[in-house]
Amino acid sequence: MGEGIKNIFSSFKARGFDKVTGGKMTRWSMVIDLKQCVNCYACMIACKQEHFLPPGVYWNRLLVGEIGEYPRVRKLVYPLLCNHCKEAVCVNVCPTGASTRREDGIVTVDPDTCSGCQYCVIACPYQQRTLYVDKNKGYFPEAGLTELEVMGRKLYPLQPGTVIKCNFCMERIDKGITQGLKPGIDREATPACVNTCMVKARHFGDLDDPDSDVSMLIRARKGYSLHPEWGTEPSVYYID
Amino acid sequence: MKPYEWMVTYTPQTEWVERRGILIWLSLYAGILGGGSYLVSLYFNNLWGMFISWLIIAVLKSGFHVAHAERPLKLWRMILRPQTSWISRGLLITILLIVFGAIQLAFSYWLPGTAGEIVFKVLTGIMAFGIMIYAGFIMSYVNGIPFWNSALLPALFIVWGILSGLALVMAIGLDTARVDIGAVIAVSLVLLIVAIVLIVLYLWTATYEEPTAKQSVRELTRGYPAVVLGIGVVLCGIVVPLAISLSSYLSGNIPAPLAIVVLACEIIGGMAFTYSVLKVGLYSPLIPA
Repeated sequence: MGEGIKNIFSSFKARGFDKVTGGKMTRWSMVIDLKQCVNCYACMIACKQEHFLPPGVYWNRLLVGEIGEYPRVRKLVYPLLCNHCKEAVCVNVCPTGASTRREDGIVTVDPDTCSGCQYCVIACPYQQRTLYVDKNKGYFPEAGLTELEVMGRKLYPLQPGTVIKCNFCMERIDKGITQGLKPGIDREATPACVNTCMVKARHFGDLDDPDSDVSMLIRARKGYSLHPEWGTEPSVYYID
Repeated sequence: MKPYEWMVTYTPQTEWVERRGILIWLSLYAGILGGGSYLVSLYFNNLWGMFISWLIIAVLKSGFHVAHAERPLKLWRMILRPQTSWISRGLLITILLIVFGAIQLAFSYWLPGTAGEIVFKVLTGIMAFGIMIYAGFIMSYVNGIPFWNSALLPALFIVWGILSGLALVMAIGLDTARVDIGAVIAVSLVLLIVAIVLIVLYLWTATYEEPTAKQSVRELTRGYPAVVLGIGVVLCGIVVPLAISLSSYLSGNIPAPLAIVVLACEIIGGMAFTYSVLKVGLYSPLIPA
């Protein structure tokens, strides 16, 4: 098979259309085990490093809350990221078509098309989108941008005036698939936050595959998503 | 808000009401005011009213939007998704109103009474109504903010737009004597009562439909939003215009300075109402209860 044909197949596979498995669709999903999570914030830092995110921008967060009243108080910690909803409100409201949902379920923003109107930021009920404004804002304002930050702006150029968000590390997924790797199993094709989790609280895989790690975890441990009543059908599930 | 409170408790939206977001508030209100004024001016066939309304939309509303845009050169792309996005629909409606309005104004000035004038009056009227209603739908579509997610919001914006339009036409009509002031006052009175009923209904339904919407109503009753609601909406937007309109209705005419006061009050009231609704828009906490 020629290189060109191979590339076409790889491109189809990256978008969820697997020719080899007879056109089976993929929906990338993440399951977060709240019992395993030790609130170390490593996922948040890994995400920042992977995408060279500037100060104040988080694609991964840890929500820390409490329920109950003294002396019966319980601490709740929820690692949070874009839910890559099946019924993504942000995609529907986008007036330019910059926000799209790929066939593999990943919701992305095309910076070349985004006009920065922020309707998606307002519309996302999970508040997982940020307007990226100042590309010269560094972590050490007095010292200017560090060498690492300058390098980051070149390696992962975010466009000022556009909306940015978690993309499930789609560059890693796409590249991994073209190399024949399996996201969620092979580290090179798996999101950075999943790789970095030292207690393996994060699981990544295909929600449409009943035999995948994520599907089995959701079934066995009654996985749930945040606010299913909003009808957004998130792809991020929690188990506890 | 402290970082650890983000989306753990009720989180207010800030993008459309703080810093550059103030421009969105102003553009939304300019659309409501311009659309309402245009419709009323069309009804009373007041050319000055139509021209001022056209300017409000073409210069103020569009100007605020362009000033708010992070990347103004890409604004044209925003007309590409009218099938799903209310912003797209709104931009298309605004552009069509500016174009149809310019043609209609030319017809009304140079060729009044022709078929062309009638056709473009109908088209511009539809667009003016669209501009008023889209501001409400942009907000009511956001189900993440339960206080906005109400069918009453577009209706309230329409009422406020028409009220402001009536006040504008009344102020202009006193000078040109081409408007039936009695009819304007009577309609204003009815709409003011409708506005009171709708506001009460809107707040009342919010308090029992959803905890986050209820919290938004609580926010409206304390601190800075309470001042804006009390002085801006209730006093300026309703009580003063209602008192002046009622006395004018009973006496049969309205002195020019009072008509200007009503116009100023309606504008302040409309701006305050839009601001209040934007300001107390809260997101529900994400952590399950």
